[in-house]
Amino acid sequence: MKGNSLGMRLWKARIVYLFIAPYFILFIFFQLIPLVWSLVLSFHSWSGLGEMTFVGMDNYRTLVTDDLFQLVLGNTVFYWIVSVITIIPISLMLASIINSPWLKRRNFVQTMMFLPYIISWVAAALVFRMLFDHEVGLVNIAISSLGLQPQPWLVSTRLSKIPISILIIWRLVPWYMLIIYSGLKSVDYQFYEAAVLEGANAFQRMVKITIPLISTILFFCFITLTIECFRIFAQPHALTRGGPGNSSMSIVQYLYINGFEFFKLGYASTVGYALALILLIVSAFQLRVMIKRNKEMNF
Amino acid sequence: MKRASTEQTIGMIILGITMIIAVFPFLFMMIIALKPPGESVTGLNALYVINPTINNFFRINQLIPIFRNALNSIVVSTAGASTTVFFCALAGFAFAKYTFPGKEILFVIMIATMMVPEETGVIPVFIIVRRLGWINNLLSLIVPKIATAIGIFYMRQYITTFPYTVMEQARIDGCSEFRIFWNMVLPNITPALAAWGSISFIVRWNELLWPLLFMRSRVMYTLTVAISLLPTAEGLSTPWQVIMAGTAISVVPLVLIYFLLQRFQIAGIMTGSLKG
Repeated sequence: MKGNSLGMRLWKARIVYLFIAPYFILFIFFQLIPLVWSLVLSFHSWSGLGEMTFVGMDNYRTLVTDDLFQLVLGNTVFYWIVSVITIIPISLMLASIINSPWLKRRNFVQTMMFLPYIISWVAAALVFRMLFDHEVGLVNIAISSLGLQPQPWLVSTRLSKIPISILIIWRLVPWYMLIIYSGLKSVDYQFYEAAVLEGANAFQRMVKITIPLISTILFFCFITLTIECFRIFAQPHALTRGGPGNSSMSIVQYLYINGFEFFKLGYASTVGYALALILLIVSAFQLRVMIKRNKEMNF
Repeated sequence: MKRASTEQTIGMIILGITMIIAVFPFLFMMIIALKPPGESVTGLNALYVINPTINNFFRINQLIPIFRNALNSIVVSTAGASTTVFFCALAGFAFAKYTFPGKEILFVIMIATMMVPEETGVIPVFIIVRRLGWINNLLSLIVPKIATAIGIFYMRQYITTFPYTVMEQARIDGCSEFRIFWNMVLPNITPALAAWGSISFIVRWNELLWPLLFMRSRVMYTLTVAISLLPTAEGLSTPWQVIMAGTAISVVPLVLIYFLLQRFQIAGIMTGSLKG
């Protein structure tokens, strides 16, 4: 009887399954199967033609001992740390200013400030490519006018990560600023008025009121920014091609080169799983904090 | 009160500087793109243009088939955005307004997949696309992302407030479930459709990795891929005016759409959808 009633319920809801079918069919073909297949591939050596050879853990062993992977991991971590320590504070500051009651033409300000996030990484990178050029670029002009030495930003292995980081900050601050601003709107303004009456300055209000009240949103920003940074591809691809001498190459670029230039499909899948593992750890951390927070709220 | 006004001044200065930094690269790009070959692009000369010309926009077409690339981008983004809006709204409607066996688990699966980076499965995806014969076919850029988890999630949030009583009334009047969706739900969620549509349009327009993998000939590239492959070398050997003209072709349509649709407050809705 029970099976029958389940069958009946399934049949009654058949039109609803049809509504969600497009997503789940595409999910199976372009996400689930690729994920499983990629896991299988990561234990094989395969060039895309001919037979696959099972190599066990060899790809993973190569990965942890490869100097280039350590370099690209280091580069990616560099982008991540620089992004987190700059983008979140800058966005928080700008969002607080935009949230101030005295600001006029708030919509106009918001519209203009969000502009960088509309265009592609590639387009932004091409403009930055010219701005940071050591012969024609304006950045060096600005630097020399401050009395400093012009630098070969894009052709130096020492400096190449800096223009990329600045590009990332320029394009992502508008996005995080807006997320934080949408959180600030929910903070009761009376808190600030009371604080101002008691003589608290902007910095004290930020530390004592704003940050504790929107900590969930700041944490959300931290997590999404982390995921975004570990998936960096277009930024170095368009700005420096990962060079000079791989000095600005990211993990996903390393995956791309191994898979689609050297045709080491097995090894590239291993890199893909390493990336997924890193992000899994981040997500698990996120989940743990969220569960903990929920428990605190319940008690 | 003195402190408040000092803080206000500092705040205004910071905002002013930030707005200049945000907008400057766009102006810089347009100035260079409008410069005739004779005018210098070096250093401070890059800040003004004496004899503006639109020739660079045709010169870039001699370098790469950029108008064809633009057409590809328009096709992919338009077809992609309109199908995405439809299928995400349809699935969002199902999750918002029906109870059916397996609903919770399917929803959790969908949300969980948002955590997995698409790069992990990119090699098999490439093989699947090749088997389908979709290399150099714009379908490979449209179909796989026709329904996205984040889009369904967003639509579900929006449709949840649609009243059940209206749906019941429609059923009594003999409406099918799809007609309820098409005739009653869709017209009532146009702001969400417009917002999600323009976001999808922008995302597809800007996408790099997939079109770079699946489009293997110059005429099939999307704009973003085409300009990413422009030859740039350090110094004056690069035809910067032409490069910036190409960049402008990829940027200006998006900026126009952004300003046109500003009344939908794309940015606000983008963040609102994430707050959930």
